[in-house]
Amino acid sequence: MSDSHHAAADDGMIHSHVEPVSHYLKIFSGLIFFTLVTVGLSYVHLGAMNLAIAILIASVKATLVVVFFMHLRHDNKFNATIFICGLMFIGVFFAYTTNDTARRENEINDVSGNHVYLGESEKHAPGGFEPPKRIVEGAKEKPEGTTKSEHH
Amino acid sequence: MSSEAATADATTEVPEGHDDHGHDEHGHNDHAHPSYLAHHFDTPQQQFDAAKVGMWAFLVQELLFFSGIFVAYGIFRSWYPEMFSAAAHQLDRPIGAGNTIVLLVSSLTAALAVREAQLGRKAGTSRYLLLTILCALIFLGVKSYEYNHKFQAGLLPGHFYHPHLHHLVEGSPALPENAHIFYSIYFMATGIHAIHILVGIGVLTWIWRRNERGDFSKEYYAGVDIAALYWHLVDLVWIYLFPLLYLID
Repeated sequence: MSDSHHAAADDGMIHSHVEPVSHYLKIFSGLIFFTLVTVGLSYVHLGAMNLAIAILIASVKATLVVVFFMHLRHDNKFNATIFICGLMFIGVFFAYTTNDTARRENEINDVSGNHVYLGESEKHAPGGFEPPKRIVEGAKEKPEGTTKSEHH
Repeated sequence: MSSEAATADATTEVPEGHDDHGHDEHGHNDHAHPSYLAHHFDTPQQQFDAAKVGMWAFLVQELLFFSGIFVAYGIFRSWYPEMFSAAAHQLDRPIGAGNTIVLLVSSLTAALAVREAQLGRKAGTSRYLLLTILCALIFLGVKSYEYNHKFQAGLLPGHFYHPHLHHLVEGSPALPENAHIFYSIYFMATGIHAIHILVGIGVLTWIWRRNERGDFSKEYYAGVDIAALYWHLVDLVWIYLFPLLYLID
């Protein structure tokens, strides 16, 4: 609450909230700890949970940085409001894009197809994409690109 | 605002400080107006708060800018989970983790530089700013080492993608044909991030020079604070990029 801090000495001068060095070292060791945890967990096979846990740990680390290193805790609340609004707009971005791409496949592709090709070449146009195949077959096969491009 | 105009016509209002004979009605004489306080601000606190609001608005813009690559990542990973897993095996986790720690150290030193500035300690501020720049250079050095491996192995974006088997990580799963999508996202994400590191090095060097010149004090250190905020944002983006690119099971 910056307001309560500055209310004590409302002379228009800057009265910084100086934290002890130990405070920053604590936050830093927390960040290192969570980094090691997330690397360690990546070697454990948890299926879809791996991604969820990785994002959760990254968010905990990001919160530590924003709240303590970037001083949002003792800053003007308006700055925190700007930041949180920004995060919500990232959510809007994700929501609309997933909504669009998820529907494209079912509604457009089945009717007319949405493959985008470069004229006569068989290569896909930049920006064009092949709709996802539900079973990804490539992972087990020998990659095609590897054999033809061996020129060493 | 030029001094020529002021001397040419003495009856008009002249910039404050130049007149000694009674323009007391001039608003700026009501209170102390230190040299670091810009003309259009009433108090140092108001100036500092305005700078911070502007910086946070800019940082949010940066987040939205980076979110494009995160949205692309989300969509493509949901479409091709196995491809992402196979392609990510070509990235070196210990190196990525080491670089993450380097960046976290740089965030700590940036925060400590601000603390020293808050206390008005010029030498300490300079020392921590230089340490931050050093970490940034180490990060870029490691990153270029990693890029070099990707270039040699032909793990490149889009139609530049031409993997060489003998350069790939031993015992890694075979790369699917569409793995170029992963490397497109990888290079775009880490490349934009590296550009931000470069800009950060420039900004921190500039702030270090200003600090050496004696521009900052206990009462005025907004430059240090705001450069550090930018640096923390670069760290923040990497905190997400690292697990999303390197730590795919």
